[in-house]
Order: sequence, then structure tokens, then C-alpha cells
Amino acid sequence: MDKVIIELAGLSVGYGENIIIRDIELKLKKGSVVSLIGANGSGKSTLLKTVFGELKPLKGNVLLEGRPLSEIDKSELSKRIAILMTDRFKSGFMTCREIVELGRYPYTGFLGRLSGDDDRAVEDALEKLRISALSDRLFNRLSDGQRQLVMLARAICQEPEVLIMDEPTSFLDINYKLELMKIVKKLSEGGITVIMSLHELELAKEISDLVVCIEGGRVVHTGAPSEIFSESTIGEIFHIDSFGILKKYLFG
Amino acid sequence: MIAGYAVLLSFLFLLIILNICIGSVSIPLKEVAGALFGGSSDSTVYHIVRDIRIPRLSAAAILGGALAVSGLLLQTFFHNPIAGPYVLGVSSAAKLFVALTLIFSLRFGMITDSWGMILAAFLGSMVSMLFILFVASRVRSMSILIICGVMIGYICSAVTDIAVTFADDSNIVNLHSWSLGSFSGISRENDLVAAIVVAFSLAFAFLLSKPMNAYLIGEIYASNLGVNIKRFRVFLVLLSGLLSSCVTAFAGPVSFVGIAVPHLMRNVFKTEKPVVMIPACFFGGALFCLLSDLIARSLFAPAELSISTVTSVLGAPVVIWILFSRAAGRER
Repeated sequence: MDKVIIELAGLSVGYGENIIIRDIELKLKKGSVVSLIGANGSGKSTLLKTVFGELKPLKGNVLLEGRPLSEIDKSELSKRIAILMTDRFKSGFMTCREIVELGRYPYTGFLGRLSGDDDRAVEDALEKLRISALSDRLFNRLSDGQRQLVMLARAICQEPEVLIMDEPTSFLDINYKLELMKIVKKLSEGGITVIMSLHELELAKEISDLVVCIEGGRVVHTGAPSEIFSESTIGEIFHIDSFGILKKYLFG
Repeated sequence: MIAGYAVLLSFLFLLIILNICIGSVSIPLKEVAGALFGGSSDSTVYHIVRDIRIPRLSAAAILGGALAVSGLLLQTFFHNPIAGPYVLGVSSAAKLFVALTLIFSLRFGMITDSWGMILAAFLGSMVSMLFILFVASRVRSMSILIICGVMIGYICSAVTDIAVTFADDSNIVNLHSWSLGSFSGISRENDLVAAIVVAFSLAFAFLLSKPMNAYLIGEIYASNLGVNIKRFRVFLVLLSGLLSSCVTAFAGPVSFVGIAVPHLMRNVFKTEKPVVMIPACFFGGALFCLLSDLIARSLFAPAELSISTVTSVLGAPVVIWILFSRAAGRER
């Protein structure tokens, strides 16, 4: 539990010349749940994309068990880090099962044929999220919540050590939000490190081992939820002076 | 899936037979068999079957299949079912390059062989493809991209017309019917070269079916799954260009097959899987073009329609169908 799996060392992220968050120093422990919170446009997605190697660091490094991502071969990386993003796609005639099967991509051979092990991993993932019944349904006929679970099943059967999720709870109703958080808890107990951006502070407070607050292009606070969710910190991050409702909600 | 292929292949077989038998001279099946397997190699029937109809139907099948797969690859690339070599202007640019090559080589008394024609068409299609990619990197809208492609098509066709009009060789008569699109006059040597290029591209495309499948759910996921996106995209463009330029080099521009056939096949096989779709599109394209060519040369025989006239009538409604169902899907 105390092993560091991902380290952000002097990391600056952004696009081209444009740095969005600078000088991040962070050590993430294996099996922990890490939430990034911050206002819209604060660069949470950019940071996440850099952590899984989609964007190159503008400065510093992302280290996976001590090795910079740039030195890790793409096929190895695909077995270690899985993602769940907000990007939509046209799925046409693709069934849920076909989409979940794509999670086995790093393991399948020539032409992507699934072995017995691959089939089992797919079925396990579907069962774990209790969506086996959706298996043969067309993906584009599902509700947002169901789709999110299918995409998560896809990420899980990739058998990653790190799961990165960008706003996994947006568009979901409260039942799916709670369901998703239960799954996250279970995954982290199984040793998977979960790094996600969250809008819902109450969920972040509930589930995280570590909360990372981003504001004004910097990481302004990191710590356990109990340290972070004090009135002054939250007010500072979201620029709220009178946040009565939120206060009531979070602090009772 | 197997049933789908069985139906497809039986229709294909049926159309091959019809394409041999039907024409300005009808040949009964018995005589065809006699001409092919019997000894009488000097009869008229033998000549018509062996030297005219079989080369022509081979061309229609090979090139039709190539065109459909080329469309499928472009649709994968752009994540859009309305992409195709014809609407993106790739075919027309290839046509322009082939026409210019022919006119110049005739003027200097050289003859361009099949490989040279493919090369010219390939260069043309890559030039237009680079332009399309440049536009795509600037604007996100697929509609604008398609309109740009159609405009490139008009410009290239206009320039081709000018070149053909002012070219002074008598061979230009052939060039004129070619520039409208036709499977007639394709030699056995042309067929062989086309078959080699198409077989190579098809095999290569089939090997890409694994990353193509991952690419369907978006670049970011595909990349995370281990697909080398840049290299993969280059392969898609090169292969679709090679396939469509093969068609343009020998048959001129053939419209809408690249969009209509993949869409029809998706609906027949109810799948997006490239492993199924690549062969299905090839057979479907072959079927589509054999049928179109049969109509083109027999409907008003002995007068012939250009192949694009027929494929437009059959294919354009499919494009409208795609647009309608997409609009309906958005409202849902």
C-alpha cells in the first residue's frame, strides 16, 4: 500500500508553448484513490492526459515505478494504464461486448482474435460491473450511465495497474454515481490505483485517499480529504465567498 | 455472418455468369462453356468471351471491390460514413494526373504502361489527399471537408476537360470515354496489374483490421490501447489512395461505390468489425460494379452508358439514406 506507483516530478503540463499547470510534485501510492478537483478549465484533463502519455510533459517527468513514461514501450504501457475519458464516438453496430473486448487489445495477437483467457477476462469484467445482460445490446442504444459502465468494463479487462478517469460521473444520475464510486472502491482494494477528476466535491470527499486541488495553474493543496475540505480551502479553489449551500452540504 | 458471405458470393457468381452471357450478342450458357473448356479457339464466341467479356468483368469486379475498400478505409480515417475517394476529390485529382500523363506521353511518342498510369493516379490522389488533410487540420466540420472535396473534384474535372479538348491526338477519343468512367477497353495486362496491386493493398488492409477496430472508438482510446496513431493513419491514407488510384488509372472516376457499398455491407452484416467488413466490402463492391456495368452496357445496347451514370443512380440514394438516418439519430 505504501509503494509509490506514479510520481510527478517537476511536471509542467499544457499544449505547445502554453503551460497550463506548472511544477507539479506528487507521489501517488499504489492502490490509492486520487481525486483532482478544480474549476472548469483549470487543466485537470490536460494533467490526466499527460499522466497516461497522450500529451508529452512540457517540463519534468511522469514516472511509472521510477521510469519515465517516455522510456516505456507503448505496448507495455497499454497493459499498465487504462483510461476512461469523456470523448464520444459513433459506435454504429458495435455491441457492448465488442467494445469491452477492445480492452483485450494489448493481449490479443494477430487480427485481434480473442483467446479463452481473453473471453474469460471480458466476462469477468462484465460480471464485476453487473452488466452481463447488456452484452449483446447495441452500445448506442444505452443510457449514459450504462455506457459509462461498459467503457469502464473495457478499461478493467485491460487489467491495468493504474486507471485514469476524466469526469467519470458527469451525465450520470445519482444511482450510477454511487454505483461507480462503489466500483472504484473495490478496484482500489484490489490494488489498482485510480486517478480521476471530479466535479462533485462530496464524492471526492467520500472516496479519495488523496485530494489534489488545482487552481491558477498550480497544485495549491494536496492531502487527505479531511485536511482539504475545510471551508477556507474550498472557497479559495472555487472562488466562492458565500457558498452557503455548499457549506451546508459538505460540513452539515 | 457466414450466411451473409454465402448470399454475397452466390450473387457474385450469378452476376459473373450474366456478365458473360448478356451483351450486344447474347451467348447461351452452353456455348460459353464450350468456348471456355472446349477446343474451338477461333470461333467468334470464343473471342467475345475470352477477349472482351472476361477481361471487362474481371476489371469491374477487381476495381469495384478496390473502390469499396478504399471508401471503408477513408471512413475509418475520418470517423465518418460519408467519406469516400469520389466525394473527397481524390478520384478526380487522380484522373487529372492520369490524363495529363497520357497526353504528354502521347505527344512525346511514349506509351505509358499500366504501372505508369497507377503511379500517376497515385500521385494525383496523394496531392488531393494532402490538401484535404490540410483542410481537416484547420476545420473540424466534416461538411466543410466534404464540400471542399467536391469542389476539388469539379476543379480537377474542369482542368481534365480542358486538357482533353486541346489534346490533338486521335487517341483522345478513348481518353474522353475513360474520363467519364468506363470498364470497357481494359486489357488482360491491365487486369493483371490491377489484380496484383489490389491484392497487395487488400492483404495489407486486412492486416490493419486489429488497429482499425480499436480506432473505431476514438483516437485517444486506440492510442492508450497501444496503436501507433500516426503510423496507422499514414497507412490508411496510402492504402486507400493506392486502391482508388488503381481504379482511376484503368476505369476513370467511378462515383459513390466507396460510400454506398460499405454502408450497405454494414447493414447486411450488422457489424463494424473490420475483419468482417474488409472482405465484405470487397465482394460487395465487386457485386455492385458488375451489376452497374451490366446495366451500363445492356440497358440501351448497343449504346453504352458511362459506369458513373449507373453507380450514381444506384449509389447516391444510399448517401441520402445515410444522411437522413444520421439526422434522425441525432434527434433521438
